[in-house]
Amino acid sequence: MNQIKHLFKRDKAVVEAAGTPEVAKTVDFTRGPLKIKQARFNLPIWAKAWISLIPAMIFLLAFMIYPIINTTIISFMENFAWQRGAGSFAFSNFFQQLENSLNPDLLTPVTAPKISLKNYISVFTDRDFQNSVVNTVILVLVSVPLTIGISLVLAVLLNSIKKLQGLYQTIFFLPYVTNSIALGMVFNVMFSASDGGLMNQFLSIFGLDPRAWIYAAQGATKFTMGVAITVSTVWNGLAFKILVFMSGLASIDKQYYDAARIDGTPRGRIFAKITVPLLSPQILYITITSFIGAFKAYSGIIAIFGQGATNYGGGAGKAWMTIVGYIYNFRDLKLPYAAAGSVILLLLILLITLVQFQVSKRRVHY
Amino acid sequence: MEVRLEDLSKIFVGRKGEEVAAVDHMSFTIPDGKLVGLLGPSGCGKSTTLYMIAGLHKPTNGRIWFGDADVTNVPPENRGIGLVFHNYALYPHMTVRQNIMFPLLNVRPKLEKAEMENIAQEMANLVDIGRLLDRKPKELSGGQQQRVAIARALSKRPQVLLLDEPLSNLDARLRLQTREEIKRIQRETGITTIFVTHDQEEAMSISDEIVVMRKGVVQQIDEPQKVYDEPKNLFVAKFLGSPAINILDGEMIDGKVYVNGELFEKGFKSKGEFNFNDEGIFHIAVEQGYLGTLDQYNQAIQAIEGLDIKKIYGVVSANGYKKDLEDFDEAVGALRAAQKVNRPVKVAVRPEAFSLTKTESGIIHIDVLFIEHIGRDISVVGTVSGMKTKVRIIIPSEYRQEVKDSKISFFARRFFIFETSGERIK
Repeated sequence: MNQIKHLFKRDKAVVEAAGTPEVAKTVDFTRGPLKIKQARFNLPIWAKAWISLIPAMIFLLAFMIYPIINTTIISFMENFAWQRGAGSFAFSNFFQQLENSLNPDLLTPVTAPKISLKNYISVFTDRDFQNSVVNTVILVLVSVPLTIGISLVLAVLLNSIKKLQGLYQTIFFLPYVTNSIALGMVFNVMFSASDGGLMNQFLSIFGLDPRAWIYAAQGATKFTMGVAITVSTVWNGLAFKILVFMSGLASIDKQYYDAARIDGTPRGRIFAKITVPLLSPQILYITITSFIGAFKAYSGIIAIFGQGATNYGGGAGKAWMTIVGYIYNFRDLKLPYAAAGSVILLLLILLITLVQFQVSKRRVHY
Repeated sequence: MEVRLEDLSKIFVGRKGEEVAAVDHMSFTIPDGKLVGLLGPSGCGKSTTLYMIAGLHKPTNGRIWFGDADVTNVPPENRGIGLVFHNYALYPHMTVRQNIMFPLLNVRPKLEKAEMENIAQEMANLVDIGRLLDRKPKELSGGQQQRVAIARALSKRPQVLLLDEPLSNLDARLRLQTREEIKRIQRETGITTIFVTHDQEEAMSISDEIVVMRKGVVQQIDEPQKVYDEPKNLFVAKFLGSPAINILDGEMIDGKVYVNGELFEKGFKSKGEFNFNDEGIFHIAVEQGYLGTLDQYNQAIQAIEGLDIKKIYGVVSANGYKKDLEDFDEAVGALRAAQKVNRPVKVAVRPEAFSLTKTESGIIHIDVLFIEHIGRDISVVGTVSGMKTKVRIIIPSEYRQEVKDSKISFFARRFFIFETSGERIK
C-alpha cells in the first residue's frame, strides 16, 4: 500500500477511497426481481394529462376563452341595451332583450337587438379610432426595432465582460420588476420642461435650449411627446429582452467563437454571421412578443402624462391615443364599440404574428 | 513547420484559489511534416497543450516556436494554424461551402468569390465530400461533419494542423475509416499535424510519433512501436496496450528478480544496466557543490544521447561540482551497489508475451477463472497461484487444446522490470 501511495502521490485520496467496506450478503438473484411500487389508479397517460390540465383549463376558459367569445358576440350586436354588469352573458342577454322587445305589456318599450356589422362600421369610420391605429403603428414601428437592437447589443456587450457582470445584469433587470406607472412618473420628471429636467440637461451639453416635452400648455408638440413615450417604452422593454438574449448567448457553444478567432474574424462579422443567426430563435421569440406587447401599449402612455386613465395627450386631446386607449375610452359609454375595437386588435395581432412566423421560416435556424 | 515547445507550463487557478498545473514544464519538438499524437488519460493536459499551440490558451510559462519564429505571443489568427475542434464547431446555419469559405473571408488581400469557391471545392474534394457542398452540417453524418471540419481547417493553407480528439465522436467503424483518412490527408498535404487522443490504439495506429503525457508531464516521446516495446516507466507500460499489461509483484534479492518464488531475472550487473537517470546521482553531485536545481539537472541529462558516467560528470562539473571524475565514479559506484539492495519490484508482462512452451524465462502458475475465445486468439483470465494478482494472457487459438485445465503454467517470454516508484530497471 505504501508503495502504491508513493507511486500515485497525487492520487492518495483516490487510492484510499478505493478500499471497499465489507457488508453482509443479502442480494439473492434466484429470488426474482424486486417489485416496484404500483400505481394505484392505472389510467392511461392522456387521461392523467387531462386531469392535470383541468385547473388551468378552468381558469383559461373562464377568463380567456369565454371573454373572447362574449366580446365577439357583443361586437356584432346592434341596439344592445347595455348597462353595467349586463354584458357578462351577452348571448342570454340578447335573447332576453329580444323577448322583452316583443312583449307589448312592458311599460317602457325595448328596442329589438340585431346582429349586424354596424359597430365595426362605426369604429372604422371613427376619426379617433383611425388616429389611434396610426399612433399604435408608429409606436410599434419605432420602439420595437429600437428595443430589440439596443438590447441585443447590450446583451452581447454584457456577455463579453467578466468583472461585475452579475451586478450589471441586475441593474439592467431592475426595470422589469418595476411598475410601469412608477416608471412613467420617473420619465415624466426626466422630461420635465424646466431646465433641471434630465433630458433638457442632456440637450444643453450640445448647446440646445431647454424645451417642453410632455405638456401642450408648456409648448410640447405631438413629436416631443412621442419622443418621451418612445424613450420610456424602449427603456422599459430592455430588461426582459436582455435577459432572454443573455440566456440565448450562454447556450451558444464557445467553440464557434474560438473557431472564428482562429480565422481572425473581425468582431462585426462574428456578430452578424455567427451571433445573430445562432440567436435567431430568441430574436424571433422576442420580436413576436414585442410586437404583441407594443400593439397593446396603453399604461406606459397614460403614466408619462400622469393626468388620469384617459389622458393621452398632455392636454392636447387624444394626441397619442392607442388602440387599447380607444377601447378603454368606450368601456362605459358604448361597450359594443369597445368590443369591436378589441376584436380588431386581436385580429391585427394575430395577422402580424402569422406573417412573422412565415417570414421566420427562412430566417431562423434552430 | 517544426513545432518546438520550450519549458511550457500552464497553471489554472481553481475556484478556491488553488493552483493546478495542467501542463508542467514541458519541452519537446515535433519534426516538420510529421503526424504526432498527444496521448494520455483525460485531464493529463494534452488538450491544454494543443490549445496553447493554437494560441487560444496563453501559457503561464515557457515558449512556443514554429520553425525559427517565436509565436508565444502571436495571436491565433497569425500563427498559420488550422484547428479541428472536438465537436467540430461547424456553423449550423451555413452550408458546407459557406463553412469552408468562412475563414477565407478574412484573407487580405481579398480573394475573389470564385477563387474562394474554387478553394472550397478543392478542399472538399481532398477530404472526399466534394458533392455535399450545399448541405447544412446537420444533414451530414458524424464522419462527414468531421471531414468538413478538416476541410475548413485546411482552407487557409495552415502550416500546422491541430486536431482535438478527432475520432472520439465517431462510432467504431467510422473511427477506423476516419483515422486512415486523416493519415492520408496528412500524407497528401505534408502539413505538420498534431492530434490529441486518449485512445492509445488510435494514437498507435496513425502517428509517426506519440507523446505520452500524464498530469501535465511528458512521460515518453517515441515512435509508437518503440513506446510499446520499450516503455520508459510503469505508467507508459500500463497505459499502452489493450488488453492492459499484467503487473506482477516481484522481489529483487541479491540482484536477482523473483515473482512468487520463481526466478525471472538471473541478475543485474550494475554496469551497463545501471539507471543513469537515478536521482541519487544528482544528490551525490549536490553534496560536492553542484549548483543546479533538480529540474535543471534533469533537463541537462535528458538532452544527452548515450548517457554514461563521463557525460554526467561533464554536466555536473561544469556547474560547481568540485571533485574529479574518479571520485565521482566511486560515489556513483556506491550508489550502484546500493541499487542491488533487496527490495520489492514490479514485473510487467504483456498479455501476448507468454508462451506455453518451456523457455529459460520466468514461469507463472495460473488458477484459471475463465477462458475467452475471441476468434483469432484465446484469452485466459486467472490469478497467479498463491497471489491475488489477476492476469490476462493471450495465446493464439491453435493452442486451445492445451488450455483446458484449471491450473496452467505459462512462461513469460518478454517482460519489463520497474521500481515500485515506476522507473524502469530493465
